[in-house]
Formats: sequence, structure tokens, C-alpha cells
Amino acid sequence: MIEFALAYAPRYFMGTLVGLGLTVLAMAGALVLGLLVALGRQSRSRVLRAICVSYVAVFRGVPPLVLLYVVYFGLPAWAVQSGIPGMVALFSPLDNRLASATLAFAVNAGAYVAEILRASMMAVPADQMDAARSIGMTYPTALRRILLPQAFRIAFPPLGNEFIIILKGTSLASVIGVTELMRTAQNVAAATFLNLQAYLLAAFFYVALVILLQGASTLVERRLRRPGDHDRSLIV
Amino acid sequence: MSGAGATPAAPEKTARPGGEPPILRIAGLGKSLGGRQILSGIDLEMARGETVAIVGPSGAGKTTLLRCVNFLTPYDEGRIYLGDELIGYRENGGQLRPAHDAVVARQRRRTGMVFQRFALFPHRNVLGNLIEGPVHVLGLPREAAEARAREALREVGLEGKIDAFPDELSGGQQQRVGIARALCMQPELLLFDEATSALDPELVGEVLAVMRRLSEERRTMLVVTHELKFAREAADRMVFMENGRVVADLPTRTFFEAPPTPRIEAFLRAGGHS
Repeated sequence: MIEFALAYAPRYFMGTLVGLGLTVLAMAGALVLGLLVALGRQSRSRVLRAICVSYVAVFRGVPPLVLLYVVYFGLPAWAVQSGIPGMVALFSPLDNRLASATLAFAVNAGAYVAEILRASMMAVPADQMDAARSIGMTYPTALRRILLPQAFRIAFPPLGNEFIIILKGTSLASVIGVTELMRTAQNVAAATFLNLQAYLLAAFFYVALVILLQGASTLVERRLRRPGDHDRSLIV
Repeated sequence: MSGAGATPAAPEKTARPGGEPPILRIAGLGKSLGGRQILSGIDLEMARGETVAIVGPSGAGKTTLLRCVNFLTPYDEGRIYLGDELIGYRENGGQLRPAHDAVVARQRRRTGMVFQRFALFPHRNVLGNLIEGPVHVLGLPREAAEARAREALREVGLEGKIDAFPDELSGGQQQRVGIARALCMQPELLLFDEATSALDPELVGEVLAVMRRLSEERRTMLVVTHELKFAREAADRMVFMENGRVVADLPTRTFFEAPPTPRIEAFLRAGGHS
């Protein structure tokens, strides 16, 4: 097993990087989407609110694997068949495996991130917004300077959790041929017939990565906690 | 209305410039929430440099009235003018339409508010709290904003705490920073919403001392308070509210020495908490 691990570690490492890169891109997309949807849910426009509520309902409900198939196998092919001008140009980037996977995971995680951010904004005391408005801030300025910085601080632990969920979810991208960690393990298993070793080594890489991420997020959390926290005893 | 000749008998503190238009004019103000009338028929005027205390039982609408003045709570009847600017609405042929967010925000620069629970920004230190408005609302250069902040901290006696975070300060200190934050915007009117109600009794004095000094400097202050002793010493006029109405609006001495109704007399005897 050790010889096996040493021999294949570089390939698995590359696969891990692909998975991690995919996660970072998907998370970035999910944050943008999630923020827009969370803000949209507080909009005065009923239509906008309905759109945002529907987005969360739909994409929390669709399993990521199904979404991945729709995006990668479904949309580009449909664009060609439909004959609608512009559709091919719009969806042809999804012929790229990584682009498809990024989009599918971002849209999926965006629904969860939207809920996390919405709850975090509601957790900021209402008088913070009052105070910001009382010194003459417009709504966007108050959001940017006062509400969101505090909301993101509250949101950080669940967002870290979401990041880890996306990371493990990237193993699904193996089914559309993205050579991330899981796909690497499948290739190695097919070549060596050492199924147990091949998949156990993948499991080890996932666990190691998640532990590293957990440690990193704890460090960041401590840094975030410093100003304006009531319990300093937790700070080393 | 603007009785040019009818000056009230014997101003209590220093004489006020006569004939100047009021800095705040509230006329026929009403507000209902969920079918309940919170405020009705409120008329109130303030001259520049005046300190007016609003007292009354809880639920009388004092805080709502204060929040209507800077439009944190929109009102739905009557009008509020700051100087000659209508607050929160634009008038179009007798019709009131809500003013744009940016317009209301600009109007709020003219008032400063001190909150019952301080409402300091916990993610910024004292300096950060104080320059937030001057830099990001007024667009002042940072150095100018910091100069203002230091000046305001001197005013509230907290020069040494400029780098502290709000959670490192006592309640009294936090509230003095809250006052300094309002001062940094150099507002024409200061609004105090029960500024000492959330404080431990031994911390009330330091905040009232700052407020008393601001009043002596002839800042224009509208103060909702339960501290009758403070009001008696600092206020030029007393406004008594009950059930969303102004029941009495009298010079401070008259209010305390000759309470106009048995209800107010009982209120004063109970120490402002009945």
C-alpha cells in the first residue's frame, strides 16, 4: 500500500489540485449568486423576491449530479437543435467540461450560500442599519460599509462548511470526464486492478485536504473574531 | 403662527435670538402601524440652540416621534420641516410623494442621533466609528475626518480611547462615543433616544454630564428621557406625551413648578416612570 501510495501520489496530487481549483471557482460563483439572491429576497419588488425564492427552492432541490448532466449533456446539444439564433454561442462554452462543472456547482451551492447570507444579515442587530442611516448613509453604502462586513463575519463558519461540501461534490465531475481526484482514482484502478488501494488513496487525499481546510478556516475565524467580539478567552 | 411680538415671559436661560425661523417644525404629525395609531396631531417647534426634553410614560410614542424626525420611521400624516426642508417627502401640488433614498440620506446628515443601545459599529474601533460618516458620507479627506474625531472625543472626554474597540469600553463610554459619532457629522439638530436607559445606574452620570455640557454650548437638542432631574436642569422646554399626543409643551420651570394637569403631577411625583 505504501509503495502504491508513493508511486501514485503525484498523480493524485494533480487530481486534488483540479478538484480544489474547481471548488474555488464554484465557490466564487456561488458567493456572487448567493449575495445577489440574498439581497433580492429583501427587495421591495415582489417579482424579484419571487424569482429569488424560486431559485433557492429549485436549486436546493435538484441533486448536483442531475444538474451536471443537464448543463453538460443537455444545454449545448439543445442549443444546436433548437435553431434559436445566439443560443449556440451562449451555450457552447459548456462543451468544456470544467466550465460545465463550475457552472453546475456554482448554481447549486449558490442556493445554499444565499440562505447562509440571508440568515447572517438578519443576525446583525437592526440598530446597526439605523445607526448607519442616521449618519446619512444611503442604503448601498450602509450595506457595503456596515451590514455586509458584519454579516460575512457571522457567515464565515457556515461558508467554510459549504466550501468543504462543494469540494467533496467535485468528485461527481468525474462522470463528465473532469480528471479530478476521483477520476484519477478510477483511471489508476482501471490500469492496475488495485481497486481498494486506488480508492482508499483518493479517500485519504480528500480527508487530508478537508482537515487542512478546517485548520485554515479556524485560523481565519480567529483573526475575524478579534475586533468586536465579546469572548476574548478563545483567542490564543 | 410666528408671533413676532409675542415673546414668552422671561426666557429661562440666555435670551434667544428673536424672529429666527424654527430649526424644526412638526405640524399635524401622525403615524399608524398595523392599524394602531402611534402618533396623532403632533405639533412641535424648536428654535436653534434650544434643548427640548420629551417625557411621558412608555408607549407614549416618544421614540417614534424622534425617529420620524430623521425619517428612520416614515410618518404618514402631517409634515416635518428641518429649516425649510420637508423631511422624507417631496411635495407636488399638495400631494406628498416619498423622497428618493439618496435625498433622505442627505437630509439625515443634518441631524445626529444617539441610540438607547449605543449602536456603535462593533467591527470598527472608536476612530473608525467616528470617521465612518465624515469619510464615507461627507467625503472628507481622512486627515480632516480624524481631526474632527479627535475634537469630538475631547468633547466627550475620551481622547485616550481612540484605538479601543466598542466591546472594550463600558456602557457609559460607548454611549459617549455614540454622542461623539453624532457630533462628527456637525449636525444642526441632535436627537437623543433614551440615551441613558440601557446604562447601569453608576454610568448614567457621565453621559448626562456630556449632554448637559452640549446643552450649555447651545447645541440644538431634542431629548427623549426618563431622567427628570437632568431634564429640569438642562432643558429649556418640556414636552409631555401620552397616547401618541403632545399633552403639554411648557417652559421647564412652569412644567415642574406648576404641572398643568393632575396626570402630569402624578407622573412627576412618581419620578418619571409612571
